[in-house]
Amino acid sequence: MLVDIITWPPLFQLVIAPGLVAALVIVIFILWFERKTAARVQMRIGPYHVSPRIGGGLQLIADLVRYSFQEIIIPKAADKPIFIGAPLAALVISLLPVVAMPFTTVPKYYPIPMDYSLLIAVALSTLSPIFIIAAGWASNNKFSIIGGLREAFVITAYELLIVITALAGGVAVLSYNLTDIVVAQKPFYKWILFTNPIAALTMFAAILMATSGFPFEIPEAENEIVAGAYTEYSGLMYGINMGAAYIKRFAYSLLFTLIFLGGWLPYEPSSGLIHGYLIPLVIVLVKSTIVMAIMSFLRAVYGRFRIDQALDGAWRIFIPLALIGFGIALIEAYLGVYA
Amino acid sequence: MSTVESIPKKLPGMDVNKLGKDLYEVFIGPQHPGSGHMRIIIRVDGDVIVEADPDLGYVHRTMEKLAEGREFIKVIPLMERMAILDACNITLPYVEAVEKLLDIEPPPRAKYLRVLLCEINRIASHLYGLGIFGVFLGHSTMYMWPFGDREVFVELAEKLTGARLTHTYPVPGGVRRDLPQGFAEDAEKAIRYMEKRLEEYRKIFLDNPVIQKRLIDVGVISKNLAAQLGIVGPNLRASGIKYDVRIIEPYEVYDELDFEVPVFEEGDAFARAWIRIIEMQQSLRIIRQVLEKIPDGDPLHEKFWAKAPALYKKVFEQTKRVKLIPLYANLKVPEGRAFARGEAGRGEIVYMVESNGSTKPYRVRVVSPSFRNAIVFRYIVPGHRIADLPAIYGSIDYFPPEADR
Repeated sequence: MLVDIITWPPLFQLVIAPGLVAALVIVIFILWFERKTAARVQMRIGPYHVSPRIGGGLQLIADLVRYSFQEIIIPKAADKPIFIGAPLAALVISLLPVVAMPFTTVPKYYPIPMDYSLLIAVALSTLSPIFIIAAGWASNNKFSIIGGLREAFVITAYELLIVITALAGGVAVLSYNLTDIVVAQKPFYKWILFTNPIAALTMFAAILMATSGFPFEIPEAENEIVAGAYTEYSGLMYGINMGAAYIKRFAYSLLFTLIFLGGWLPYEPSSGLIHGYLIPLVIVLVKSTIVMAIMSFLRAVYGRFRIDQALDGAWRIFIPLALIGFGIALIEAYLGVYA
Repeated sequence: MSTVESIPKKLPGMDVNKLGKDLYEVFIGPQHPGSGHMRIIIRVDGDVIVEADPDLGYVHRTMEKLAEGREFIKVIPLMERMAILDACNITLPYVEAVEKLLDIEPPPRAKYLRVLLCEINRIASHLYGLGIFGVFLGHSTMYMWPFGDREVFVELAEKLTGARLTHTYPVPGGVRRDLPQGFAEDAEKAIRYMEKRLEEYRKIFLDNPVIQKRLIDVGVISKNLAAQLGIVGPNLRASGIKYDVRIIEPYEVYDELDFEVPVFEEGDAFARAWIRIIEMQQSLRIIRQVLEKIPDGDPLHEKFWAKAPALYKKVFEQTKRVKLIPLYANLKVPEGRAFARGEAGRGEIVYMVESNGSTKPYRVRVVSPSFRNAIVFRYIVPGHRIADLPAIYGSIDYFPPEADR
């Protein structure tokens, strides 16, 4: 009985996995991984002194504890309700898309009715930037406002890309049902990543843009605008801001995994909680963690684009690419590749 | 009463000031991660900079005035503080000027040793500049690599001089220490390592499409502008003017060594990044030649040995270190004015030393390369976007403590 309540999908997915708890664990792992790989590339050791036996794996937990006990300074001139509320709202809303994602073919474990889940997930994923802009505006700091503005500019570029490329997945299968999209990608070589690499690549770049990943780390460019919209935040509030950005990337990675990487395939969910829900869920989590790890690695390779170059690239290169990807999806639908 | 009220309502630079329609004034620095210890006041129309005003002096330490109160030898460690990562290049012209006043010529071995440390410093200085440049572009690997590799040359300098940064190595009449045993092998190892690494820098940084997009045609200093503004060093050579004090007016033993001075025609930030890489390659060449050609002999002028007690000569024979204080404490420099210049990592550095015959200089005038390069911000930044400011700043390799003195 208790298990049924805990694993009631809308609650379970938002709070435990892939929601808050699992997201926190994965984000901490990814942050550790990011720091460790960058350190390896850059001839450093990276986090080490907290728990040297597991390669400094607990460093991020220590940081989190430190953040929690640090004084939260709210500038006098800041708009307090928005200043405090915006990061919290951004964190929660970044998580929302996971409630629209299926992790099984068993209808009992759908969090919501799945018929238009792709559209709902994409729509929910587009909500959080408004709170970053609000946070920048409420901080009343020149660099925060510039950071918020850059975020606004970048949204206009990547939002459309994510929508077009995500829908390309749905169009190929002729369904906006994420479960159908995943099931159609059986066997291995029919992953949409392989049949439509252009859409997949474009969405990958758009996710980087959406979550300030290198080389598109523009809204938080520290040498230009200190920390962008988060300049005035301190302590736990700053941690929440940073966490929200990574959770957003996590939600996008989940979506990317479902659309392009065949979700829980090659596993076939059967009945029962473990075989029908938890195992496929873990497979999706592992795949999306790998996607995030690849995104993190780019930090060690690239610098950052200038904002106008990123926007120029988005509109002149990636939008046409996204449209080509969409065209490929249409052709696939016409030829009945996924029929 | 309360401290909160004593804080002025408006702090200059905290806000963005509106100057006119669509024109705003933004203070970048001096406490800003992308400005170093200086302030650049920019006026922006949207994201485009209309006017830029480099505001120097944040780390001014009255070095020229301080020098008037110290003995000639003590001015060297003072002047080193301008650019501790380029210590030998920065102080060598001062030492040469004092030598001109004393009318002594250092022994050839000392000259070679000076050049050796100068080139080690030049590499360390360029690596530092490149590292800062990398992080300004958000390229964290290009920040860590040069800073890590710089360690190799800092340690090489430590082996030679005993100090990692503020070596105070050249002193009037020679150098402070002789070449330690096994130095040539260590240096050869470092040179081979660095040659390999420079190739890797090219791969990850200069051949990186993102970096090329950020740097090519950004912050172009035309040949004309460079000549008009009188900028110096690698920045000038990246604009197509072959001006290097090591070639124009060879000092120490640069005329006996075979090296090239790279010149680029583009004058953009990308050329300025490239030129530093090539200069490092040339410096490695010079280090190799110095270690091959270095003659035997005394690293200090015999005039100083004549004054020294016999014990000091004995100590030197054993440790190869010159005991300084008794030799220089009462060094009286004859009356007169002397002028000397050298090519530091960031460009030409000029000293004018005036003595009135006492133990302390009457006047030491320094013109440092960063100071001469600072003006360039005013002319090349306008027209670029705010995001280009760190790219241009990094490419100039501007070093505020050196400019402010």
